[in-house]
Amino acid sequence: MNGVVEAAAVSKWYGEVLGLNAFTASFGKGITGLVGPNGAGKSTLFKLLIGQLHSDQGKITLLGEDPWNNVPLKRRLGYCPEQNQLYGWLTGQQFVETLLRLDGMPAASARTEATAALKVVGLSSAAHRPTRGYSRGMRQRAKLAQALAHHPEILILDEPLSGADPAGRVHILRTISDFAKDGGHVLMSTHVLYEIERVTNNIVLIHNGKAIAAGNIHAIRALIDTHPHAVRIETSKPRQLAQALARMEHVVSFEFPVADTLLVRTRKPDAFYKELPQIVSDTKLDVRGLESPDDSLDAVFRYLVG
Amino acid sequence: MSISLPTYSRLEIPLLGRRERVWAIIATGLRREFRRPAAIVVIAIGVAFTTITSIVLVLFASFLLPGQPLNLSFFALPASNGFVLFFVSLMAAIIGSGLIADDLHSMAFTLYLSRPITHLDYLLAKAVILAPLVSMITVLPLVITALVAAFLFPLVFSWGVALQAIGLSVAVGLLLALFNTSVALFLSSLTRRKGLAAAGMFGGNFGLFIPASILASAIGNPNLLYLSPWNDYLAVASAAFGAPGIGIDWPGALAILLGVTVLAALVTYLRMKSVEVITG
Repeated sequence: MNGVVEAAAVSKWYGEVLGLNAFTASFGKGITGLVGPNGAGKSTLFKLLIGQLHSDQGKITLLGEDPWNNVPLKRRLGYCPEQNQLYGWLTGQQFVETLLRLDGMPAASARTEATAALKVVGLSSAAHRPTRGYSRGMRQRAKLAQALAHHPEILILDEPLSGADPAGRVHILRTISDFAKDGGHVLMSTHVLYEIERVTNNIVLIHNGKAIAAGNIHAIRALIDTHPHAVRIETSKPRQLAQALARMEHVVSFEFPVADTLLVRTRKPDAFYKELPQIVSDTKLDVRGLESPDDSLDAVFRYLVG
Repeated sequence: MSISLPTYSRLEIPLLGRRERVWAIIATGLRREFRRPAAIVVIAIGVAFTTITSIVLVLFASFLLPGQPLNLSFFALPASNGFVLFFVSLMAAIIGSGLIADDLHSMAFTLYLSRPITHLDYLLAKAVILAPLVSMITVLPLVITALVAAFLFPLVFSWGVALQAIGLSVAVGLLLALFNTSVALFLSSLTRRKGLAAAGMFGGNFGLFIPASILASAIGNPNLLYLSPWNDYLAVASAAFGAPGIGIDWPGALAILLGVTVLAALVTYLRMKSVEVITG
């Protein structure tokens, strides 16, 4: 057992619901992606790793230590939760500073490091606005800033790209890559395989609380390419955007499920994500957020688990 | 699209100790409370009402309370002022009920505990936020009253008596403040809905005081008064100031107040220590 994270037959129940089911995996150095549909057990695993849940069975270690109620270990990790926030009246700067002060960072250093971390995630211009006014993508970046501002050894990121706009995604993925290049370890979850692919080849697939596949992303990719990948785009002009995207040969369908939303299905998600920023930039259309429903991934999981 | 980004680099920063980390929680909590109009209003009105009514008692003691001896025992009256019960309950309900419940509801608790903060640190900080605010109702008006009495009527209330009254006011006021702080945090830790905790606070203070008083007098059994924390407090305060009691022994009443305070704090700690943060 010498991985950054070691999980051996870890199970966690919520009453009669099984959150993790004899989950066994070893996550090495660098960036590891934890990929699985919503409800697969990703957040449960992360809560176990940051010591906020206690496993009912099995053993889990982070950086070689048992994380449950392990206060010193918390200095070594940075956690970016999927949905929570501190208080909406705090500005981005205050939000990060407050959490740095909880680490024991002196006020002056907390101010400096918060400013630097917000700059890294591209939030300098909004640093002095209350976080309650932030878009979902901006909140994700603020949470990422607080996770890395105290210079942890490992980042645990729960769906860090969820709801982020294209520019925000670039910032977030670039920040994660830089952190890993600098020697840090990253464990990030997503229900969209293609998001992980940009920063790492190492993935663990999780489904119904079990690790069903681990290793190189390309082997999994071959399976997924047989299923069209769905991308939901928030925009004020969905029809104009659909018109612009129609020139992509790999796009197979468009839907307009609700107002200001465009649902695109593509057979080449990597090419789609690569070309989208340029098209948005050329057409000057307003894209507020990107999200991928996990139905395409679900199909792969159904295939993998028989 | 072209985006240029600064690069991230790691560095080591010497970190401060536990006291500073706890203070960071306190500072954030106090900033939050003093941004809430409801909290500011209840503090301002509570302090004003309890102080003014207590001072009125001093100014018009001989008219309002003929036969009341004007010595140390007089100060049991402001200490048993009904406004204290009302505003302490209101403050514990409005401020205390949300201190933990709101953090559980908003998931801020997850972020707090992702930092090197122990459950004890967290609870201590929450208690330090609430206790001084509650003390502004339970202690401050009594101290001001004693000072006003000594300034205005030095021949009736000597400085010696006033200082004794101040010391006793601090002691009994802190007892009541700690009791309400501990119970409010306990109730707040039980739920993510602060309204329930607030209702519990009022229920605990008024819901026990009124029925216990009515039943005790109806069936002639004063022991029922022990059930009400406010009656327990009155018994202790009366004994402290040397005033006539309310029919129950102060040692028993004191033991109940201290026991409940310690028990509520202990149970809250154990509950928070075992709480698992589930976000669905």
